[in-house]
Amino acid sequence: MLLHFDRVSLPDTAQNLRAEVRTFLTRHADHLLRPNSDFSSGHDPAFSELLGSRGWVGMTWPKEYGGAERTFFERYVVTEELLAAGAPVSAHWIADRQSGPLLLRYGSAQQCARFLPDIAAGRSFFSIGMSEPNTGSDLASVRTSARRTDGGWLVNGTKLWSTDAHRNHYMVALVRTEPPSENRHAGLSQFIVELSADGVEVRPIRNMSGGEDFNEVVFTDAFVADDQVVGEPGNGWEQVTSELGYERSGPERFLSAFRVFVEFVRLIGDDPAPHEAAAIGRIASHLMTLRRMSVSVAGMLEEGKSPAVEAALVKELGNNFEKALPEIARLAAPGGLSPGSFREAFTDTLLLSPSFTLRGGTREILRGVIARGLGLR
Amino acid sequence: MMNEITQMLVDSAARMFADGSTKAVLDDVELGVYPQALHDMVVENGFDRIGIAAEGFATTDVFELLKSAGRFAVGVPLAEMVLAARWVGESGDFVSIGVVEGARVAQVPWGRRADRVLALVDGAARIGHVCHVTTGTNIAGEPRDTVTLEAVEEIAVDEGPFEMLALSRVALMAGCLERVLDLGLTYAGEREQFGRPISKFQAIQHALAVVAAEVAAAKRAADAAIDALGGERFAQEVAAAKARVGEAVGIVAEAVHQVHGAMGFTHEHELHHFTRRLWAWRDEYGNEVFWQRRLGGHLAKLGADHVWDFVATQS
Repeated sequence: MLLHFDRVSLPDTAQNLRAEVRTFLTRHADHLLRPNSDFSSGHDPAFSELLGSRGWVGMTWPKEYGGAERTFFERYVVTEELLAAGAPVSAHWIADRQSGPLLLRYGSAQQCARFLPDIAAGRSFFSIGMSEPNTGSDLASVRTSARRTDGGWLVNGTKLWSTDAHRNHYMVALVRTEPPSENRHAGLSQFIVELSADGVEVRPIRNMSGGEDFNEVVFTDAFVADDQVVGEPGNGWEQVTSELGYERSGPERFLSAFRVFVEFVRLIGDDPAPHEAAAIGRIASHLMTLRRMSVSVAGMLEEGKSPAVEAALVKELGNNFEKALPEIARLAAPGGLSPGSFREAFTDTLLLSPSFTLRGGTREILRGVIARGLGLR
Repeated sequence: MMNEITQMLVDSAARMFADGSTKAVLDDVELGVYPQALHDMVVENGFDRIGIAAEGFATTDVFELLKSAGRFAVGVPLAEMVLAARWVGESGDFVSIGVVEGARVAQVPWGRRADRVLALVDGAARIGHVCHVTTGTNIAGEPRDTVTLEAVEEIAVDEGPFEMLALSRVALMAGCLERVLDLGLTYAGEREQFGRPISKFQAIQHALAVVAAEVAAAKRAADAAIDALGGERFAQEVAAAKARVGEAVGIVAEAVHQVHGAMGFTHEHELHHFTRRLWAWRDEYGNEVFWQRRLGGHLAKLGADHVWDFVATQS
């Protein structure tokens, strides 16, 4: 059957964890300052360390590497509760979601022992190093290159859109370790680059909402030791593809506008006009469905599957929903955009919304992934 | 995951529907010819009785069966046959179901053939003998008659009959949507233009990717409502599903027709039997806005600070 999303219910252990997370969030409400629920908002190392101390970072990883050996369902519950509350999770988000799993799958035992415990403690933060000035959706065209030197590699080139590179510790950079050949996917490798090292310059880029979250990172003969090469040199394409599977499947792909919904319901109150009730119900019907699809994907991850197509499908639907939600709410909001918490959440989200269908793979790339899954290419 | 009994039920139903719901039969249905052969097969094999508790099937099986019926656009009013048998018991006569509109009962599938009609009104039901019929059809050409009843009596249905009928349309649409996606994929692979199958064009690939996403969402929403049967959230889950699946219908039907070009606009092609049913079923037993309002009203009463809990504590 094509692209089937199994009926998966969260096990009781995961539901019990939900209450724990909510209690935790209530106790640390002083960290919940953002008016939206976007995962790229709010870089708060102290909060990440608090989460780490609760065992809620790297929670599916082996205990020997600081993990908690919990299920993907439990991780799902923690992440969705954090996002729904608008918690500042940006600092550890990438390391927890994809850099750590990448090391577990392809990294050496030494790398796992060196990097994972600090990540799981909520103290070590990673950025993504994929895009470049002339490389966006066509990831295989990266030009950042590395050449051999004593004990490692010298990296030259520029990475772009690296969120939080100006305040994180490491970047997993996709670099060319062999000259381009007919096989575009050959000769690529993944390096763990220390962002504070010599030869690494991080230049923040201001986005249209005024925030400075993403960066340009320039490497000039930046040294990367051999023990910071992830997996086999030349295997970078396979590795980066698997990393993208983790990047696309989670609740962050449909909850970015959730606070707008909450404030919309608050604005309307308990006696809605027919069109107001319809707007609430329309948003809810999408949200309930998307969440179930995302839980189904968590179930596939728990079974050890690689649901790349299903993840792309959730992201496609989820990103479109994140963009539609503020519009549905805006047009039904009593009083329009008069000052208040609805307007604040709406404005904040609208200004971020162009990025929703770009980051983690554009809509166009995702539809290509889905089409491949349908056997059309 | 479907259990074995359900899987067997669905598989044997699918074989029966594939044989008994051909293009020729679908054409006949639109001319008012009742698909008696298919009806007889349904009754002989006891499919009309699977909603009766003593038959040993789960209530969810009723709707798994209807998903299969939707996939084949079956011409017998299976939802009404099964639910009427569930609520009235095995009676031997033909009981259809409709909605009270003033002094009459409207939207009755094959009311012209019904001996009795179960009429829904304000969450309750009554039943009576058909004494007068005004025939009509929905946009798919399926008979939807308006009837007058006599010897009417109240009948106790304690499981939300209107929601159950809405869920029947959700299940029918879920199955039918999957069929329409399949038709689109098949056609795009076969039809050649500019020297290659049109499925090789990015514009077509993206259109079908959107269709696949909507169909996947519709199926998951339908399953969620089916799983909520008998639970305290049943009304809200049906509301979410009918609203969400209804939205998918508009997107999917439009896009798959576009993929089919003028070929899919002909009566000769089978696509319209499915797309027109989708267009009809999304309006039966409450359209998207009807159910959005119900769900939204419920959430507004819960209040902004409980919205997340409502979403996150779903099954």
